[in-house]
Amino acid sequence: MDGREALRIAIRSVRGHKLRSTLTVVGIVIGIASVVTFATFGASVQAEIVGDIGDSSAGNIYVFGTPADDEGFDRVIQPVFTAGDIENLTGIDGVSNVIPRGVVQVSSIRAGNQTLARQQMTAATPSSITPDSVVSGTAFTSGEQEVVVNERMARAFRENLTAGSTLTLVSADGSERPVTVTGIINGTRGALPISNFARQPRIYGPIDPFHESVVESPSAGVRQRAYPQVTVIAEPRRIAETKTAIETYLTTESDARELSGVDTELVARSGSDFVEEISDVIDQITRFVTGIGVISLVVGAIGIANVMLVSVTERTREIGIMKAVGARNRDVMGVFVIEAALLGTLGSILGVPLGILVGYGAAGYADVTFALAPEWIVLAVVVGLLVGVLAGLYPAWRAARVDPIDALRHE
Amino acid sequence: MVGAWAVSTLLCYDRCGAAKLDTHSYPSHSVSETAGVDGPTETGQPEATVVVDTVSKHYTVGNRVTALDAVSLSLAEGSYTAIMGPSGSGKSTLLNLIGGLDTPSSGTVTVDGQQVSSADEDERAAIRGTAIGFVFQTFNLMPRLTAIENVALPLVFDGWAEANRRERAAGLLADVGLADRTDHLPAELSGGQRQRVAIARALAPDPALILADEPTGNVDTDTGGDILDIFDELHAAGNTLLVVTHERHVAERADRIIHVEDGTVRATESLTGAK
Repeated sequence: MDGREALRIAIRSVRGHKLRSTLTVVGIVIGIASVVTFATFGASVQAEIVGDIGDSSAGNIYVFGTPADDEGFDRVIQPVFTAGDIENLTGIDGVSNVIPRGVVQVSSIRAGNQTLARQQMTAATPSSITPDSVVSGTAFTSGEQEVVVNERMARAFRENLTAGSTLTLVSADGSERPVTVTGIINGTRGALPISNFARQPRIYGPIDPFHESVVESPSAGVRQRAYPQVTVIAEPRRIAETKTAIETYLTTESDARELSGVDTELVARSGSDFVEEISDVIDQITRFVTGIGVISLVVGAIGIANVMLVSVTERTREIGIMKAVGARNRDVMGVFVIEAALLGTLGSILGVPLGILVGYGAAGYADVTFALAPEWIVLAVVVGLLVGVLAGLYPAWRAARVDPIDALRHE
Repeated sequence: MVGAWAVSTLLCYDRCGAAKLDTHSYPSHSVSETAGVDGPTETGQPEATVVVDTVSKHYTVGNRVTALDAVSLSLAEGSYTAIMGPSGSGKSTLLNLIGGLDTPSSGTVTVDGQQVSSADEDERAAIRGTAIGFVFQTFNLMPRLTAIENVALPLVFDGWAEANRRERAAGLLADVGLADRTDHLPAELSGGQRQRVAIARALAPDPALILADEPTGNVDTDTGGDILDIFDELHAAGNTLLVVTHERHVAERADRIIHVEDGTVRATESLTGAK
């Protein structure tokens, strides 16, 4: 049968029941729109985070300990990378800078008469504050009571912090330490961002005097400063081989190997490794949430099947007429499948822009840059069409099996 | 209005007129036995368009019901036959069997040389669409298709190109006097106009046989007369017609009346001379 004629009959039928068709299409629209919304939002979040890290941190290799099994996370943050390790890492071919990092627990930070409770300070070298990350002021100086804060932290106080502001750090035992803010940095750029892509207020200070962890170096036999994490800046073109060399050093000769337990794995991850891991996690979340959207598509499909069954019953006589004038079973089936596919396609066509719109709104609300997920959009349209066809198959098969004699007698 | 339309070649453009010689003797014994007046049994008669040979039809509704019991008849090409009988006589069953809507329990039905009784569903659909034109009591037009689309519908299933379909449908609508109603929906037409659309549709595939089931049952007397006039014209143009009716005056337009009762042919009445 002429496909255009079948389409014509289907369109007339859809138009003949405007309200019913609209309600059915709305079901599919909601399904497709939610899939597209979640997919778009996921893509936006991913693009944002990957963009943040990927831009400037590709050459950063993060060195840290991770539990070999799921237990013992507390051991991981123990300071195991000694000053000797830092020196040896610096000597590895392809390494341009090594930034040891320590975490300093600060019970609160006070500026003027305002206090921020439960803060954490990152201790690092002045070279970790790269010029491209400094918004105003300068990096802190080693050995001085100086700190650098990110823009979030600067804005966290009623009177915004600027270079030259004075803060008081209160430690857990109640002792107070006055410090001077030397600069404000953009937390998403430079050598440190991996610890703060979550965009929290951050404060950074020099290792001397803030980081006080000391262990006895097994190789040197003397007590040295030790750090839980190290960032290695590699020459951009030699990241992979440098990473391998670092891993070899860590697992064979390092003090960290001696100091950390057998159940701790020492790893070196490049910025792109993190990008991949984070992308994987976001992908999984997106897939899961989108799966929930698919449920509403299934509900929409049931709606189509239901309406098509009603339509078959209502149009029994028409089916009889078509058969009397020469329609074969597959012709009748075609008419009804096309009608169902039409409803599904209409739902897709309306659902996709709606989903993109809501996704755009959600991205704006979450303060991430909007990004499209084209493969999901194509998939949504295909699924909409498929849902229509599948939902229409059984009703159409019922229609095809109608006995023309009974159908022509049908009132 | 009806008298004004000319029977165009569209109504019968390749089947009619050619009096093919028939040397085949059809089993028309039951017809001859009941009336003894006709049946295209002799050589020189036109070929039979429809042959029903000892056809029986049983239904099982609780217990077994025999709707038709060994009925045989044949319709000569170009003949105009009426089937009369009370309701429940089996005349509708006979119509369904000849129309290829149903299959007999035993016996054979041949329409235009094609075995309807042994054909599968798709083959019967093709026979219905090309060899048979149905005219129903309740018109049975597609409610959401326009007059011209309704007329063209059989041609859709026969695989005609759209331009050709429209051309033929427009010509047929003009023939039945509805040239100015082509784009109207059935609901916008009167009963008589609808029945004329249905007749045009029946003629669309240039069928070997036109089957009408109580064609005047749902229209007023005047309109019914108009429709019967159309049938006369179709007959005059050489079409083969079979009309099922319970109204004597409708049946009398035919040249032969077959009386069906209790699933058998009771009598065959020839009217050719009377007209």
